[in-house]
Amino acid sequence: MPPKGKAANKTKASETTKPTQTTTTTTAAASSSRTTPPTTTTKPPPPPTTTPTPETVLARSEARYAAARPHDALLRQKGGSLSAALSHPEQTAWLAARIASRIAARPALSSGSSTAAGAGAVGKVACGGGVKTLREVWKIVNEGGLGLRVARVRKSPPGGEVGVREFEAKWERKVVLGCLEVESRCFRTRWERERRGEVEELTGELVVVTEQEAFEETRRRKEMAALRKELYGGGVGKEGKLAMDPEWDDVEPVVLEEPEGALAAISYSADYAEAMAYLRAVMQAKEHSPRCLRLTEHIIGMNPAHYTVWLFRAANVFALKLPIPDEMAWLNGVALENLKNYQIWHHRHLLVENYHPLIAADPSAVAEFAAAERSFLQKILAEDTKNYHVWSYRSYLVGKFNLFNDGEELAAIEAMIDDDVRNNSAWSHRFFLGFSNPDYATPGSAATEADPGVPAVVIDREVEYARDKIRLAPQNQSGWNYLRGVLVKGGRKLATVEEFASGFVKGLGEGEEAEDVQSTHALDLLAEIYAEKGDREKAELSLTRLGQKWDRIRVGYWEWRRKCLEVPA
Amino acid sequence: MPTQQRRPPSSASSSSRATRSRDIEQVDEEIVFDRIHPSFMIPDLFTQPPPDETVEACLPFLTGEDGENECNEHGVPGIDRARHVRFLHQCLGKLPARFVAADASRPWFLYWCLSALTMLGEDVTSYRDSIIQTARSMQNDTGGFGGGGRQLSHIATTYAVVLSLALVGGEEAYEVVDRKAMWRWLGSLKQPDGGFQVFVGGEQDIRGAYCAAVIISLLRLPLDLAPESPAYTGDSSANLLTGVAQYVRRCQTFEGGISGQPNAEAHGAYAFCALACLALLDHPGRSIPSYLDVPRLIAWLSSRQYAPEGGFSGRTNKLVDGCYSHWVGGCFPLIEACLNSNPSRSSSGGAVAADDPTATATATTPTITKTSLPPADESLFSREGLIRYILCCCQDQTKRGGLRDKPGKMSDAYHSCYVLSGLSSAQHQWELDELEPDAQPDAAAAAAAEPNDAAASAGPNKQADLEAVWAVLPYLDGLQVFDNKDRVRPIHPVYAIPQPTVRAIQAYFAERPGF
Repeated sequence: MPPKGKAANKTKASETTKPTQTTTTTTAAASSSRTTPPTTTTKPPPPPTTTPTPETVLARSEARYAAARPHDALLRQKGGSLSAALSHPEQTAWLAARIASRIAARPALSSGSSTAAGAGAVGKVACGGGVKTLREVWKIVNEGGLGLRVARVRKSPPGGEVGVREFEAKWERKVVLGCLEVESRCFRTRWERERRGEVEELTGELVVVTEQEAFEETRRRKEMAALRKELYGGGVGKEGKLAMDPEWDDVEPVVLEEPEGALAAISYSADYAEAMAYLRAVMQAKEHSPRCLRLTEHIIGMNPAHYTVWLFRAANVFALKLPIPDEMAWLNGVALENLKNYQIWHHRHLLVENYHPLIAADPSAVAEFAAAERSFLQKILAEDTKNYHVWSYRSYLVGKFNLFNDGEELAAIEAMIDDDVRNNSAWSHRFFLGFSNPDYATPGSAATEADPGVPAVVIDREVEYARDKIRLAPQNQSGWNYLRGVLVKGGRKLATVEEFASGFVKGLGEGEEAEDVQSTHALDLLAEIYAEKGDREKAELSLTRLGQKWDRIRVGYWEWRRKCLEVPA
Repeated sequence: MPTQQRRPPSSASSSSRATRSRDIEQVDEEIVFDRIHPSFMIPDLFTQPPPDETVEACLPFLTGEDGENECNEHGVPGIDRARHVRFLHQCLGKLPARFVAADASRPWFLYWCLSALTMLGEDVTSYRDSIIQTARSMQNDTGGFGGGGRQLSHIATTYAVVLSLALVGGEEAYEVVDRKAMWRWLGSLKQPDGGFQVFVGGEQDIRGAYCAAVIISLLRLPLDLAPESPAYTGDSSANLLTGVAQYVRRCQTFEGGISGQPNAEAHGAYAFCALACLALLDHPGRSIPSYLDVPRLIAWLSSRQYAPEGGFSGRTNKLVDGCYSHWVGGCFPLIEACLNSNPSRSSSGGAVAADDPTATATATTPTITKTSLPPADESLFSREGLIRYILCCCQDQTKRGGLRDKPGKMSDAYHSCYVLSGLSSAQHQWELDELEPDAQPDAAAAAAAEPNDAAASAGPNKQADLEAVWAVLPYLDGLQVFDNKDRVRPIHPVYAIPQPTVRAIQAYFAERPGF
């Protein structure tokens, strides 16, 4: 049901445009007897004497029937044969009404002089008399105020139990809808004429559809859709958001039919199916326009995982030369709403690729952009600290704008590790910042191999950092992996941290009670250190204890490591 | 986000536990009755909790306290085939509107469901016609398959469609693919640095490289680069696979694992893509050690398995998830092939070996070579642990069926496929043997092949004879905690579909060189 206010508005609007229609068709009875000669309908039916105003449509129909066929009620009431129930004049009137209604049922015969002969023939058939008799019939009918055509009361007319007021309100809405459709048709005609460049007949000026008109049309279509839905139920037409928007009138949506028996087919919502149909149309036409942008936004709102839509959006952004920061700002909102989405980050990547050449020469612009990006990344990482796509984008950004020496980037990562020392994503990013810095890193150096380009001071700093963090959480593998990675990068012997690692392992092999391992990763590293130093016995003991007690799920691996000791490296 | 905290069993509690278990042995069986299921043979490795949310969710399942299904004497429930099969058939049917987020990945549903059904022993050829129709509706004239009709071709959805067509098999299915357009399209994705974009104008990552290698190999596409390709230089030695291995190498991180693109975090899903891709470029015994630091890689892969859950996590300090049973678990057959085989020095080529394999190695001289690492005689990971995790924790034991990430999560087609793939690789042993050029195809492998594989051995195929041959056996070493009826069908360790289906499609296209 539409809000009452709306319905009131509509009545007003329709009155101004089509006053005649609203006044003539006010009741159901009037419309159903519209084809009868006017003389009969203008005659008022006998005033209902005792019956109260009917409450339901069914009751009203019955009352009307009774009024138009007074003799039927008498017949029913008294029962028996016609002659017994009715007086002679009543019988005549009853008969006349029946004859007249049959003639009226063939409108071609009841009017028009050329068919008079035919009418006479029917009259003869009907009552055995001539034209004169027929005149008599009409006279009786007119004088008796008998209805020529009366809605037959079905036992249970659809909606028969509906109250009269409600029923009439429904009729009113149908009328309103009709008016709106006429207005909409007028609008479409004007719209079409504007497109063709036609001129107004009166003024000779070009036809111009104002924004206000288009706006009103959109509202009108929404009202029409709401009315249609209310009157005829949902899903009757294609009143989607876009079909309703006059802006899209020139686009023929490309509806895609799934083949017979298509697998994993999705029952799309009407909105989504419509939007995709319009998208196919504009993509096919290679259209780049503000409305295409809005369409992509509309679809992305429903399905952010649609890579085709994202790429089309990017094409539009670039073709329309939109300011990249504006698009970034819009994207921020979408990203925060769709944390797990993948496509958002590729879109951002494309925007940066496009934007970079514009600001690369201006250090302050770069700094400003980097700061804005960092602030956004911090916000989104606060929601999901290990989001893989966000971190991948972050490392791309650092590389693209050479933010390796940006103190704030490193500080931001440190803050994240302080927050959660087990955030391995943050550790990985830190490794990238430290060891892929083009100022010193050797291009093409693999992550797991030594790079003589990295200054010792960087290695020292990172080793110290890792040790500090490991002390906070000795069984945190992130710290140990980092420590080992740094040592390898720096080309240092693992044994340089032997003492440190030994601090987490007590009494190895000295019996169940004495042996205490605070960190299996320390013991793992120690095994490597012993092997590096050639102390095969201790290396073997470390690996054996790992498999036997401290990290049993990985016993197969520890055994393999033990076999590695047998093969000279 | 829950933070994964992994502690070694604390010294105090574990020694007291150890004392207690010794006591139990010494005293009598009375105390044993304290155990909830005295008859279950569940090692305490899988029942001892370090405090952790995931562990708490898993323990009732691992100990057999929870779950609807009946357990065997090892405390492991069987596979609820009937329910899983029903669930998977449903996922192939009409999906409700809330699946709209999957609108760009429908081909994945085809592959996940068909593959999972196949592993469960179902015959999926009844889907042949509908797969053909569905695939046709997704193919673009410009080559490749999109996520749905009129969507851009994407390398991941193309991979999924090609595997689905291979799974249902048959000439009509194979002929759906417009190979010439596919070849041209792959060329347009190929980048000068060796990698592949996932769609034209899309991101570049290691999935692209793996999917491209699989597609090229299954469809037997020529490797030449069309002049329109961004990677085309006019140098005739450069082809579709040039530089792919170098790209993979750039994705290994300091942790030893593989990231999706260079300079990111090591992640289980990309590890599988990297290894399978290398295994397609050349014999994994050569290609993996040539481009990756194998000891570091194995250390990282092994670290992904946690106790007491038994399952794998995808990254350091992240939680276990059933799907890594495949992404990480599926790496081990490839690693074993790398360690256990002794490939001849001359590169006779992987499934899609470049015309001149040495050319692929010229750009960067590999610094890491296989320096006599010992073979993996025993399993490098705990198969028992993984199988327990899968059967106890990853089955939705309600009427719904299907497999899942972990207890408390909903089952879905993705997890059903990759959990079963992981189960399959844990239950089987793959070996890769290099044939002598004049040797006949392996008899056992031929026997294992299905009737539709006959075409593969019928036509003498010189290239196939030279290739290394994967052979599979049930894994029989050590304790088997599942019943034999719960062994799922093996899938090829590289293509992730059954070996006979791989052979059939390759044989079909091998007989049709050119377009």
